[in-house]
Amino acid sequence: MSMPPRAALAAWLVLVALCSGWLYRNLSIGTDLTVFLPPSTNSAQRMLVSQLRDGVASRLILIALEGEEPPALVQASRELARGLRASGQFGFINDGDLASAVKERELLLAYRYLMSPAVTAERFTVAGLSAALNESLALLASPAGPFIRKILPSDPTGESRHIVEFLVPDTGPEIRDGVWFSRDGTRALLIAETRAAGFDIDGQAMAIKAIRDALQATGATRVRLLLSGPGVFASEARATIQSEAQWLAAAAMGLVMLILFAVYRAPGPMVFSVLPVATGMLAGIAAVSWVFGPVHGITLGFGATLIGEAVDYPSFAYIQAARGERLADTVVRIGPTLRLAVLTTVLGASAMALSSFQGLAQLGLLTIVGVGAAGLVTRWVLPAITPANAVSRKVYAFPIDARGAMTIARRGRWIAAASIVAGLAGVAWHHDRLWDDDLANLSPLSEAAKSLDRTLRAELGAPDFRYLVIARGRDRESALEASEAAGAWLRETVGRGWIAGYDLPSNYLPSRKTQQSRRAALPDATTLARNLDLALRDVPFREGVFAPFLEAVERARTGPLLTIEDLRGSGFELKVNTLLVASEDGWAALAPLRGVSRPAELAATARTAGHELLDLKTESNNLVNSYRDESLRLIALGLLCMAGLLAWGLRSVVEAARVLAPVLAALILDVAILLSWGHRLSLFNLVALLLVVGIGLNYALFFNRPVADPDEQQRTLLSLVVCGATTLSAFGCLAFSRTPVLHAIGVTVALGAVLSFVMSAVLSTRETRRGAT
Amino acid sequence: MKGCAELALLVVLLAAPTAGNAANSPPPLSIVELMQMLASVESANARFVETRHSALLKAPLVLKGTLTYRRPDRVEKHVLAPYDERIAVDGGRLTFENRTHNRRKTMSVSGAPGLAALIESIRATRAGDLPALQRYYALQVEGHRGQWTLTLKPLDSRTADYVVSLELSGAGARIGRITIEEASGDRSVMEISEQHG
Repeated sequence: MSMPPRAALAAWLVLVALCSGWLYRNLSIGTDLTVFLPPSTNSAQRMLVSQLRDGVASRLILIALEGEEPPALVQASRELARGLRASGQFGFINDGDLASAVKERELLLAYRYLMSPAVTAERFTVAGLSAALNESLALLASPAGPFIRKILPSDPTGESRHIVEFLVPDTGPEIRDGVWFSRDGTRALLIAETRAAGFDIDGQAMAIKAIRDALQATGATRVRLLLSGPGVFASEARATIQSEAQWLAAAAMGLVMLILFAVYRAPGPMVFSVLPVATGMLAGIAAVSWVFGPVHGITLGFGATLIGEAVDYPSFAYIQAARGERLADTVVRIGPTLRLAVLTTVLGASAMALSSFQGLAQLGLLTIVGVGAAGLVTRWVLPAITPANAVSRKVYAFPIDARGAMTIARRGRWIAAASIVAGLAGVAWHHDRLWDDDLANLSPLSEAAKSLDRTLRAELGAPDFRYLVIARGRDRESALEASEAAGAWLRETVGRGWIAGYDLPSNYLPSRKTQQSRRAALPDATTLARNLDLALRDVPFREGVFAPFLEAVERARTGPLLTIEDLRGSGFELKVNTLLVASEDGWAALAPLRGVSRPAELAATARTAGHELLDLKTESNNLVNSYRDESLRLIALGLLCMAGLLAWGLRSVVEAARVLAPVLAALILDVAILLSWGHRLSLFNLVALLLVVGIGLNYALFFNRPVADPDEQQRTLLSLVVCGATTLSAFGCLAFSRTPVLHAIGVTVALGAVLSFVMSAVLSTRETRRGAT
Repeated sequence: MKGCAELALLVVLLAAPTAGNAANSPPPLSIVELMQMLASVESANARFVETRHSALLKAPLVLKGTLTYRRPDRVEKHVLAPYDERIAVDGGRLTFENRTHNRRKTMSVSGAPGLAALIESIRATRAGDLPALQRYYALQVEGHRGQWTLTLKPLDSRTADYVVSLELSGAGARIGRITIEEASGDRSVMEISEQHG
């Protein structure tokens, strides 16, 4: 195999130009986390995923204002709410001040005879009206009297009151001067529902900025703003990960450069060392973007990790070059080993690329193309561009005698074997505590942020959205009817104390059928006037007081039904749109529950009614489990393929076993040590373990490579030590991160690299044979 | 608030020499003194007659019933005629029960800001809880220990849209009458005869 250096260089330049051009025109980076969720197997999981993406829960921002006297907080809260409503970024702002929800109140009033569950034919008979009027009379004389006085003439049957009682839970926070306050009176509280979906982190970040700007615009400079909620968490997490990743990457880069400089003592090879991995990253991203469209941010992050082993390729080449040897000759000499190192990783990643999970598939493709490209650049491009004497000044004086060290290492076999057995025992001991199934533990939130969220949620009486009742229908209308059917049994469960409350789309938009039957229950103008006259005989209301009532009923009786168009622009529209969603086989009405105390009984009742109870926590844990199972299956498949490739490439099953054994041993020990430290394995650890396999195989292959003379053995050991040191320092930096994702990857890889190195030295090294090639 | 109390004390001290001269008029009452006087009551039972005047009604509606108070935050108004209705505040919870119309509802007092203001006017006055009153109202007191009048004007503009003022009058630690003037022109007058426990 040979290629003129110029042709290699030209091909490389064309590749870089093509990839850059493609990315410049087509690259879009996705932040939709749900791409990383598996294509769900059942409808409950699909519902979970859609809820995570853009459900009601994902859009809530809890806001608290503190640090001032209550009157200043009240003012700030009112002005903030006004500013946020004007910003257009929020569907619904609730500061406890119902009076300021003007649009919603107008809707309630205009459509009260179609929305109120109390509207029946009996209510408008003489007896029904008489009872309602007597009740209104008592209310007028009660402390609530002054407040219902104005509406009484147009709504003597109290329909708007019924709807409000129905919609507004009476377990809300304390109200001071019309706005929500914490029990101790130190914080004014608000809830905002963003128009942006929860997965849209940019949209969430914009909404958060809008809140900060709106507060600043109120001029309340001394008021402190506290924010919580899924969107706030997501955008904060992203910011934390980005800033940490940046400075940790800089630190890692600095350390790696330091090590390379110590070895090469010249800038040239240091710069050239970056080319393969940089080309690989470029080609990998271009390939993912070409195949999948948007490249996920996580693919980029993990991708850099997964092709991290490509940083080692130039080190193997440069350091193994003998004094005076042309680099082109060196790469030919170590070519078979390097090729095997690249191909094993490519094959391992192929299993991932075939995954039905788009996130894993993206990672797999990026690794295949990235590592492949880095290998090709090392093999063909580096010799073409590295000046003949660029690496000749490197320090050969490795202070350790390789031959002696290797001989000692081989004696450690029994210790290695014993530690593998101990590692296996350790894993077996922890087998029931192996996996971290709780999605929440993967979030980079500080304990302070979590406890603030708990406090605000408790003070606001906001639902935790763990439980949802789902009622399905063929189309929107039948889903609304199903929602009403669910409302019937849910009301009973509230009475039984199984739940504290619920929300339903049909509360805001009753089905056409229900609206029609309510409209049909309204008597014509003459009948109603006669009934009212008769009812007024034994109630001391003045004659003619209720003329507005007669007009309102006639308007409702002859007017149009309430439709989703009528709700447009109000908070009710967003409620209906988030609680009434299209699903794969029709429509589903969702009822978020508050204060669930008897989930088992609730699930049984829901089943009897033909509905289902969805426990989001259980479902999300199931989801993580299925993700993990798929990843494990793919990793096992990848390992199997690698073993086959090794046996073929080394033309010996025994040789293949010699190379694979240390890698497997390192994996077992890595896991056992993590477990003994009290870690549980998450998806991030699995991804990191894949990299450990890639790196470990390289070590084992080069340790196992036959060497011609002590000098070559010396250079091989030096190259391996340099590779090990760079990997250790790069991932060691990540291990210092406070972000669980970065920390997990850092610890796993740094530990795995050390273990692979030691195990390969002990188990893969062959005795130096003279004349071997 | 402390400054307010000190000022009141100063006024009383300065007024003291002249008070002796005006032999037959007792010293004017400060809000702090009134509150202290009212706060000394542990529990109270009363009968009331409330007359509700409204433009919506052919004739004023007259309610009769009982009031009970237990220091510091339990108040119950029990209407016995012309229907049976009980409104009780216990801590922060409001219970509304109308046996005639078979309706019962409990809610947080704070859930209805206007209602909370009205209920606090009675509860906090009875308990001598000055900070609670000042949260909702601008206060003005007239008269002396033997015969005083406390006028409350809502601070919150939304409540003021409905209620113009509340006037509580009494003698010593007893509240004798509560008059509510509404923005609609309606008013209600409650005559109370208290027995202290």
